[in-house]
Amino acid sequence: MANYYDIDDILIEEEFVPVLFHKPANGVTIDPSAETNCVEQGAKVELPFWLAHELHLRQAVSVTLPACFDQKTRLEIQADAACVDLRSRCPYFYEFGCKLQPLVTDRTLGILLSTAFKLRYKERLTKVYTAAHITASKFLPLLTKEETNLYEAAHLSMTAFKKWRTGGPRFQRASILGRKRKESY
Amino acid sequence: MAGQTDPHISLFSPQEVEFMAEDELVQIVPNMNMEPLNFISGDFGRFVPQIPIEVPLWLAVALKRRGKCTFRPPGWLSVDNLTQILEAERESQSTFQALPFSYVEIARLLFDHARDDIPDMYMVRSLVEDIRDVRLHKLETNLGSFQGTSAVKISNVSAMEVNLVRPFVRRALEAFYKHDKPEADADRDTRSSRQPREANNEPRRPLRQR
Amino acid sequence: MASNSDLGSADFETLASTSDVELLKRAWRNEKAAPEILPYEAALIERAKGQIELVEENIEDYVENGIDPLVVSLYQMDLDRTQFLLRSYLRVRLLKIEKFMFHNLKSEEAESRLSEQEKVFAKSCADDLAKHFEESVLLKLPENYQSVLKQSLISEVDDMVPQPHLDTFVVCRSKNFVSLNLYEEGESPETVEMERGDLYFIRYKIVKGAIESGKIDLI
Repeated sequence: MANYYDIDDILIEEEFVPVLFHKPANGVTIDPSAETNCVEQGAKVELPFWLAHELHLRQAVSVTLPACFDQKTRLEIQADAACVDLRSRCPYFYEFGCKLQPLVTDRTLGILLSTAFKLRYKERLTKVYTAAHITASKFLPLLTKEETNLYEAAHLSMTAFKKWRTGGPRFQRASILGRKRKESY
Repeated sequence: MAGQTDPHISLFSPQEVEFMAEDELVQIVPNMNMEPLNFISGDFGRFVPQIPIEVPLWLAVALKRRGKCTFRPPGWLSVDNLTQILEAERESQSTFQALPFSYVEIARLLFDHARDDIPDMYMVRSLVEDIRDVRLHKLETNLGSFQGTSAVKISNVSAMEVNLVRPFVRRALEAFYKHDKPEADADRDTRSSRQPREANNEPRRPLRQR
Repeated sequence: MASNSDLGSADFETLASTSDVELLKRAWRNEKAAPEILPYEAALIERAKGQIELVEENIEDYVENGIDPLVVSLYQMDLDRTQFLLRSYLRVRLLKIEKFMFHNLKSEEAESRLSEQEKVFAKSCADDLAKHFEESVLLKLPENYQSVLKQSLISEVDDMVPQPHLDTFVVCRSKNFVSLNLYEEGESPETVEMERGDLYFIRYKIVKGAIESGKIDLI
């Protein structure tokens, strides 16, 4: 679906992805290590996702997994998913991974994302309503954007509820509403 | 302004949930005479001293605040009933006891405006708080057992409780749903929006500098 | 008016005459909870407006005739409540129209959900926005990229048009027994069966049809 204006989507597509060029490309300066403004066939370059995607569709490059999904991260997730600092790997860990999935040959990416999310969700996020904010603040910096959104949703909802419970004037009548309208709506 | 709850956080504010609950009927005993009221929302009355009558909660509160009636607390709001419910809530980790859908809102309005009409008010209030607490913890625990389903049944959860967990649960369920069918969706998207293209001959333009 | 059971909420309508306020409340709630704009309840809104105007006049009369201020204030309260529902309903719809401006004007079906006034509003919003984009950005781009709806002429769909997320999860309650397909045509034929009064968190797409036909309510 068109996420054209969605800021998060735009940021996700800015993330860099390593690609391997199948064909040479002329007249572009995208490989900082190249001397000329050409890219040779077989060269490995890091490109932003949006560009890598387009080139992949035109079969000009093949895409490999970026560092944030490397073996080290996978091992850490297997060991103790809830404690891994995913945000420093990539703040959009899950969304980025989902976008990459159809482009790479690695079929285990999907399972990795799904497992990591489920484990972290169960460990961390299911305690948001009753846990004090202090306990939460320890693991908040480790959360990806998506996980943070989840946490915020619960936290704000709880805050609003507590505010309601303590009472206070509810709806205030806007002063303009006191006058009768002559014309119809 | 009407309709201005931030839609990104919560669909309904607690105040709006309370607003909806105020249409629930409660029993009052008027202490004055009044002609029937023909509201847009319904007809009520006539009001005769000492004769109990059912009216919407908002009307009851308005009359009570002006000293025109007393409340007859609903049957479920008694020490005996609530104690039973609290025990039953504590016993089961997965089921919720049947309570009025708007029990949180009704209880709060009555405590705020009609405390003298509720026998053992402090005890009753403390029981309601405890029940709410136990149920919230239970909801939280149940949140941990979501899988990638398309539908989750939540029996006997009340209006305010649903509203409280809704923003979180919606996002969580969406995330689970997305993660459990990522390949199918991604394939459909790439196929429908773009076909693999040949290199075309559009005028070249410089790439963004990094 | 509403059912009298202890556990009942005002929504379980088994009586033949559901008051307009009840219907308005239902329409408001559904509209607030749904990710897309729902068909406009023209008849209901007309009746509600009529009743509101009538009561407004009555209240003026009461005040002039020195009716008990208590009674007047109670009528005013009832009026305020109804007006809140009406205004909020219209405002929520306007928010959705603004959010999905181009989408709502794209198809006959989408446009038919709007009232006449909303159509005018949507059209003028869309025109303003398109004009703004054109003047500030689009006309300065190469010819193939000047559309407000498509990123370039070779895009097959209108990929610049935000659309409502129909896969959002909503909370709903069924009025009667209902059995729904959980998945699309051609996928696994799992169904969910809802008894009267059950509450469900469910994907909006699944219950969309049932809501429009009035069998299910959003909470």
